[in-house]
Amino acid sequence: MKLSDIMSSMQLSSYAEIALLLFFGAFVAVTASVFGRRDAGEWERRRRLPLDPGEGDSGTEGTAAP
Amino acid sequence: MKLEQFSYDDEIVRKFTFATILWALVATLVGLFIALELVLPGLSAGLPFLSFGRLRPLHTNAAIFAFAGNAVFAAVYYSSQRLLKTRMFSDRLSRIHFWGWQAIIVSAALTLPFGITQSKEYAELEWPIDIAIAVVWVVFAVNFFGTIARRRERHLFVALWFYIATIVTVALLHIFNNLVVPAGLFKSYSLYGGVQDAFMQWWYGHNAVAFFLTTPFLGLMYYFLPKAAERPVFSYKLSILHFWSLVFLYIWAGPHHLHYTSLPEWASTLGMLFSVMLWMPSWGGMINGLLTLRGAWHKVAEDPVLKFFVVGITFYGMATFEGPLLSIKSVNALSHYTDWTIAHVHAGALGWNGFMAFGMLYWLAPRLFQAELWSRRLCNLHFWLGTLGMLFYIVAIYAAGVTQGLMWRAFDETGRLMYPDFIETVVRILPMYWVRVLGGAMYVTGVGLCLTNLVMTWRRRPATYAVVVQQAAALHEPSGEPEPRVIVPRYPSMVRLGYQLQFFAEAAWHRVWERKPLRLTVWVTAAVVVASLFEMIPTFLIRENIPTISSVTPYTPLEVLGRDEYVAEGCYNCHSQMVRPIRAETERYGEYSKPGEFIYDHPFQWGSRRIGPDLHRIGGKFPYLWHVKHMEDPAGVTPGSIMPRYGWMLEAPADFASLQRRIDALLMLGVPYGNLIDRAEAVAHEQARQIAREIVEQGGPPGLEDKQIVALIAYLQRLGTDLMKEPPAPQAQPPLLAAVAAPAPLEPAPQATLPVSEGEAR
Repeated sequence: MKLSDIMSSMQLSSYAEIALLLFFGAFVAVTASVFGRRDAGEWERRRRLPLDPGEGDSGTEGTAAP
Repeated sequence: MKLEQFSYDDEIVRKFTFATILWALVATLVGLFIALELVLPGLSAGLPFLSFGRLRPLHTNAAIFAFAGNAVFAAVYYSSQRLLKTRMFSDRLSRIHFWGWQAIIVSAALTLPFGITQSKEYAELEWPIDIAIAVVWVVFAVNFFGTIARRRERHLFVALWFYIATIVTVALLHIFNNLVVPAGLFKSYSLYGGVQDAFMQWWYGHNAVAFFLTTPFLGLMYYFLPKAAERPVFSYKLSILHFWSLVFLYIWAGPHHLHYTSLPEWASTLGMLFSVMLWMPSWGGMINGLLTLRGAWHKVAEDPVLKFFVVGITFYGMATFEGPLLSIKSVNALSHYTDWTIAHVHAGALGWNGFMAFGMLYWLAPRLFQAELWSRRLCNLHFWLGTLGMLFYIVAIYAAGVTQGLMWRAFDETGRLMYPDFIETVVRILPMYWVRVLGGAMYVTGVGLCLTNLVMTWRRRPATYAVVVQQAAALHEPSGEPEPRVIVPRYPSMVRLGYQLQFFAEAAWHRVWERKPLRLTVWVTAAVVVASLFEMIPTFLIRENIPTISSVTPYTPLEVLGRDEYVAEGCYNCHSQMVRPIRAETERYGEYSKPGEFIYDHPFQWGSRRIGPDLHRIGGKFPYLWHVKHMEDPAGVTPGSIMPRYGWMLEAPADFASLQRRIDALLMLGVPYGNLIDRAEAVAHEQARQIAREIVEQGGPPGLEDKQIVALIAYLQRLGTDLMKEPPAPQAQPPLLAAVAAPAPLEPAPQATLPVSEGEAR
């Protein structure tokens, strides 16, 4: 018996719908978690990372070994 | 706290910057040339390597992998070093990556125009180049993840998550869509056949858009937009949602490219639903981008970089609204195979990818070349030329697409097709093609101005670039920020659960993941792999998805040769082979296509657009001589036709010598050619002689039996005819052996007359 015989007889017609629900559920969970209650200032440093003064464009000019 | 000193490798960013703009010019120039070919078909001058079918893949590959690809690498190399506060892991790997990628692009330019192609859209490159891509991608991945490992910033900024998703997913897509059995150095056959090949291709094709043209450009947006606007990202929460939604949802959406085809209905519906869901996170990202400019809108009027970014993000919003719209089946029934799709992809590519890349290049130029930008006026001129050029392009092509779709499905009051000759629908949209040429020319001119501006800025560079010395503490030094973790006391399980829920509800889990690149990468990979398997396993393993048809038999060796010529010429770029179960299509083309008809199609040739008519039921509709005349001079047979001339196929010899190798490769893929071991060439010659003889009898030229045209005609006359054949009797001789023993005309029997005035196909 081949794997395709087994799969074909498994009546997996609801397989796709289950997948859809699982992934939609994950999406809802992430949304709920991200927009849930928390300290408003918690993310501040992270959202400003590209603007961090030490992030790259400023510094001491000179020659440096790589 | 002990500070370490280091510097960034900007030389590699300079290299990728120049490569970006150079390839942008090449990609758009080739695009302009093929746009002109559609209104001036004689432009190819009968030269094979200038034909639309061969050059269109060069245009798409150059735009995606050369222009957008180099832009992505420039963005990754510049921003990752700064976000991670470290130099790239290895300068040598950076250089290998750069030169390796450019060599791959050059090899694409040297193979595609010569008909060396796998014929899978955006995955046309043949297997040796595919292996090179995989190797260079691994080099890039090692360099990138090595840089992360040596970082001095514990926290991974959102741009880096998008880069991680890109690196992981593109690797998976590339490897699994390009699994082939080689039949020589420049020829291979897809491991998958028919429906399964179509599924894999659009799993790849759509996610190439997602993970090569979207996620890395979102990384670019999240880094360079705040830098240019000097404002922080509007909402970090939204960026988390944006990221995970795209990772979870995008991978499912591929089947929406195959609505109403032979793909199983459930896969098509699933693709549609996930595509519609994608609208939410995509617009979340767009809003996050545009709102980052809060308090900085006054700068937009002054700063050309921000102008490019604003228009780019707006086009992202437009394209990601239109994508879900086009995935809805009823809309897709109208839009699919028309130029509407072409307008959609150009809104995304020219507007989103192009303008984000140009904005980044203009922002980088003064910093990389350590000189003021040569001309802001030229920069502004580029912006307006590009913006107006895009509008001319997409508005005209939207109009062309909707016109095509409506004309194809129009019935008159007697219930007959209102435009039964396909050529009527071609001629009607030619004025819009001219407007596209105008828009394209404006866009290309803008790219030329950008190149000029960058080169002139580069010429202002100092004699030696100053190297900025950076200082930062090593990662093992305490950062002062508390490590997010759950302190779970030894309480009963319900209390413990409460703590864990709090950990989740406060998204502390994500703070942990943002500091753990390996964990983040594993979860991204898991999301992509699991989603892919959910779709692939049923498609590949449930038999009812592809019911077998007893009368469907493998192609004869000569038909295989002709099919390979069809692939090499890129006929799929203009012709579909998929009659949808829609009345307007069955009236025009014949019986709708069945999944079981394609089981020997390695690779599938369903195509994605109809500049010319569908060809799945072309077999037997016209006599052999009609095909000879039509390939020699399409406009002579069908006045108004914009198909290029293929007169050289009447002179070029068919490659009979390699046929046995091709048949052997197909045999390895499970095509039942057991009776053709060591006999393929002889069988093919026999069928070729028979077709050539009939061509002469119909008044055609002699001496075609060893020419490419005979093989191609053999294939075209076979297309879609299996369904009409009687199934073989249980003990009957296998059809291939029968063909050798008593060569007979292909059925249905060709007509004797040449319907010169008739359309290309009904």
